[in-house]
Amino acid sequence: MPVEIGELTFLEQLAKQFDIPVPEHLAADASRSEIRSALERWGGRGIVKPDILAGKRGKAGEISVVTTAQEAMRKLKLATTVEIKGRTARTAYIAQYIPSEQEVYTAITYDSRWLGPSFTISMTGGVDVEQIGDAKKKTIPIDIFKGLDAYQASDMLGSLGCPQKLISLLSRTFVSFWDMFITTGMRMAEINPWRITPDGKIYACDFKGVFDNSNYRFGEYGRNLPEYPEGKTELEEDMAEWDAASHRGQAHVADLDGKKVLPILFGGGASTIIIETLLEYGGDPIFLSDFGGNPPYDRMYGTIERCLKHKLADASLLLILGGKANNTLIDVTFQAISDALRDYCERNGPVQIPVVVGRGGPRLVQGMLTLRKTLEDLKMPYVMFGPDTPITLVAEYAARLADVAGRKSLNDAHDKPFDNTHDRPFDNTHDRQEQKI
Amino acid sequence: MRAKTLSDLLKESDRIAVSNITGREASKVSIDSQSYCNNIVGGWALGKGGQKITCGKGDDIPVFANCADLMKGLPPEKHPNKIVVYSPPQAVYGDVKEAITYGAGQIETIFVITEHVSVEVTAKIHNLAEAAGIDLIGCNTLGIINAHDRIRVGAVGGDDPDESFTPGSATIVSNSGNMVNTIASYLASAGIGTSFGISTGKDTLILTPLADLLQLAQKDKNTKAVILYVEPGGLYEAEALELARSGGFTKPMVVYVAGGALEGKSVSLGHAGAVVEGGATSASAKATAFDEYFGIEPLDIDKRYRKTAELVSSLKRGIRVRSLHYIPAATQLVFRLLGIERDTPVKRKMVLNPWFVNMQDWGKRIPSRLILTPGKAPEPWGGQFRRLIKSELGASPSRRAMKNLSHASSNDGEVTRIHGRDLPELMAKRSFAEAVILYWTGEEAARDFEPKLVEMCLIAALTNGPGTISAQGAKLSASAGNSPNTAMIATLAAIGDFHGGNGKLAVKFLANVFRETPLIDPYDPDHGLDIEAMALETARKFKKTKDDKKEAGLDYERIPCLGHPIFNTKEVNYDPRERVISAYLAENGIYNVFLDFYHKLAAAMLEVGAATKIWAVNLDAAIATVWMGIAWPRLRDRSITFNRAADLAFLGFALGRVAGGAGEYLDHRDFGTPMDMRIGTKDTTALTTPKPLGKP
Repeated sequence: MPVEIGELTFLEQLAKQFDIPVPEHLAADASRSEIRSALERWGGRGIVKPDILAGKRGKAGEISVVTTAQEAMRKLKLATTVEIKGRTARTAYIAQYIPSEQEVYTAITYDSRWLGPSFTISMTGGVDVEQIGDAKKKTIPIDIFKGLDAYQASDMLGSLGCPQKLISLLSRTFVSFWDMFITTGMRMAEINPWRITPDGKIYACDFKGVFDNSNYRFGEYGRNLPEYPEGKTELEEDMAEWDAASHRGQAHVADLDGKKVLPILFGGGASTIIIETLLEYGGDPIFLSDFGGNPPYDRMYGTIERCLKHKLADASLLLILGGKANNTLIDVTFQAISDALRDYCERNGPVQIPVVVGRGGPRLVQGMLTLRKTLEDLKMPYVMFGPDTPITLVAEYAARLADVAGRKSLNDAHDKPFDNTHDRPFDNTHDRQEQKI
Repeated sequence: MRAKTLSDLLKESDRIAVSNITGREASKVSIDSQSYCNNIVGGWALGKGGQKITCGKGDDIPVFANCADLMKGLPPEKHPNKIVVYSPPQAVYGDVKEAITYGAGQIETIFVITEHVSVEVTAKIHNLAEAAGIDLIGCNTLGIINAHDRIRVGAVGGDDPDESFTPGSATIVSNSGNMVNTIASYLASAGIGTSFGISTGKDTLILTPLADLLQLAQKDKNTKAVILYVEPGGLYEAEALELARSGGFTKPMVVYVAGGALEGKSVSLGHAGAVVEGGATSASAKATAFDEYFGIEPLDIDKRYRKTAELVSSLKRGIRVRSLHYIPAATQLVFRLLGIERDTPVKRKMVLNPWFVNMQDWGKRIPSRLILTPGKAPEPWGGQFRRLIKSELGASPSRRAMKNLSHASSNDGEVTRIHGRDLPELMAKRSFAEAVILYWTGEEAARDFEPKLVEMCLIAALTNGPGTISAQGAKLSASAGNSPNTAMIATLAAIGDFHGGNGKLAVKFLANVFRETPLIDPYDPDHGLDIEAMALETARKFKKTKDDKKEAGLDYERIPCLGHPIFNTKEVNYDPRERVISAYLAENGIYNVFLDFYHKLAAAMLEVGAATKIWAVNLDAAIATVWMGIAWPRLRDRSITFNRAADLAFLGFALGRVAGGAGEYLDHRDFGTPMDMRIGTKDTTALTTPKPLGKP
């Protein structure tokens, strides 16, 4: 999973280290007198911002210009409670207001067009890059081994009509920006805007970056990064830790806040498709999961143990589904699922929800028999499919079954006619698609 | 790109070398690949040169210390032209660089299977490969399959690629490795085979962009249509559509774009590169872009498509599907309206086909339309099920490294446990036989008489006199001056298949007789089986085999544990030790179907003329039937393996006999003289004459 950082970490750690000019700033716990003297030093104006890993703070109205220490203290307090798009602020800070007549946009990212890093500049800073017309921005590929050099940057600035007096300083600063990007193992970094003061000084006035945590360089920086309140559920936190504990097999989970289907899914692609199908047919999946990548027994057992512990009590159907595996051993994964399920029931008592299974791959038959035996022993209702039934059909069936299973009283379902308005019956005797086309 | 057509990426004559080949994944996949297409010439793994990967089918794979050694060590005709990288992420840069350096002028393509390679390293290896004129697939590709040449690299198709891939006219290009296999099997069921199956990987940078692959597919004569599985993230599809619009790719595409329903939800999908950065890279933007290019709405499964010039013109470009399982229908539509022939007849229909259904009580409580009728597992799985269910009486647990794991015992620093039960409590409340049953089967004795029977067997196994070879083992050891444990080892070393091990054969024999019966409880006299008839049939079969083999002058397999070298002089013979067990059973009203069968078999052997008298059911048989009584319900519910059941009888004998050996040792050590078991030279007879040594 990518690791993001916001402006405050950039101000406190990276800018200094890589010699990137930034405004002065004070943390939220600064005293009134510290703020007062800072405001005096800054020409009477500061900007209060929440430290939050969400873009568009300005658009959300969460950035305020302040002129007095009292106002700053009040706004700082408010800013620490901000929530944007489900993310909450870690803290807040006040930065020096930089008066400017010119704002510049820059970003470094890896570009699918050149299969390497690219550098983008626009002399129209302070707005979303997608709002900047193509004519007003310029992107060039960077040689991954040589890096960005000042001549490339100055060529770009020249072609974008940058005032001559700024070109040299900006170009050199952009090289520092590249240096930071590559040295810390980032995947994407954006400084937007650079503000240029009337006397020709430049300041990086907002920053957002994403580290590539597969990059070993990130390791040492990653250790010093602050922890943001991420709004992760207990299961997500538990699984993230478990996922990071080993690279053998995936243990990826993203909570969807659903209430019906507990989906144990395999394969990055298959899991996406299955979740989409569940959503479409009212399966209300509890989370998105990907447990493929040929996990060994222990890994699989630990993964399932966690899922069951956190979510089985809420679920109305257990779905174990994946495409036709290429290298995940089905007997190993199904044995681990079986054992985790048995152990769960031993600890928590019997579970009376249906289980829908669909899978293909190496040693499938052995795996299916193991799982079937477990479900028989636990007296759980089940339907098991092989790879000859498409995963999307299985997911659709599971969604409909979960809908019935999820009702408080099953008698309700029996009395009322089953909602059959937007689908065709589950006819497993002939192929309608085949006949129609 | 160096490649000009898809077969330049992979074809029959290619020679593959694999990095980090001794890794868990790499070695397994390589062995499967050798079995499928035998195209791996060698591999390397740091510090592991000189080994060999043994392949059941196909050539064994030599392992070298590094890429340079591999190029030096292999004969020129075996030099690889393709490299598959299975190295851990930290080693990918080094291994790719090595391959490029030492394989210059020979290596054409490098497949990087490794996951979690940093974007920086990905960009760097792309740069190196470009400069060297080598095509790089990955990172995090699953590999490629060329179905016409029946060749693959990586794990595409798993351990049996033939199951999904038949040669045909669709090329699958997928961001997900699993989907290559899954889509191929869907298409196969609809009578459409595969030309190439390509897993691109879905890292942030896909080093073989879609536009490049489409250009190669354009020139592949077998590819009549391209099936795309697409995820959000990246601008690869936009570039591919630009290529198509400019006439660089003119074959129809059937496209499924995943991730649309999850748009706007801040969840990360499974693949590292499936990240929306900018509106154009979202699933919905990609879907719309394809629809605009095709000029037709996504496939409507309920619509009747009539052939019009407009429809044909659209389908020449392709069509998108909203659900994965519509891919075969959409491809069939394209084929039919464009006049492309199917590759094979339709194999099976794409419907819900449940292999196993048991709704328990739920069957009565849910709408009948949700209750499915169990279908049949098609081949090859149906046959696999039948074979497995028939052949595997007992559990078939999956295997794993057990180095520091045990189900049998545990010790948490305070309490030692046997299968979870406290040892001190067992000491206080159970007999030795009860603890042994627990330790060996994983469960406590199911019947209260079982421990008593086991104990009787242990006593019976203690000794059959000092002349038995196991007792001789102990005496030899004592005579040599060994310590007690060595003497016990000598006792155990002197039992085997012919002495003491017959019980194991008896268990296998009984399992074969009873495997097909519905027997669950071996102690239930109302088992409903005609034991006499079973005995007669077994005796007749035995007699026929015996007669046939004798006629042919061959040795034949005896019925284990029937007859005894000493107790064989009467018309009806018994082993007195077996009699004690039988008497105990009779006195306590206990029935054992296996012992009953053995006695009826002894009578049947006489009746059919396979024996001239009623042979004794010997002690080994008695021990085997006692342990089989304990094991059978556990075999039936598949909680223990068949091998374990067979070992129990043998171990039951060995445990008793080792204590007996100890008795012989103690006696011999106290009263014997050193080396008194030695046979004097005069008492031995030479069977050869003295001969001079030949010249060195």
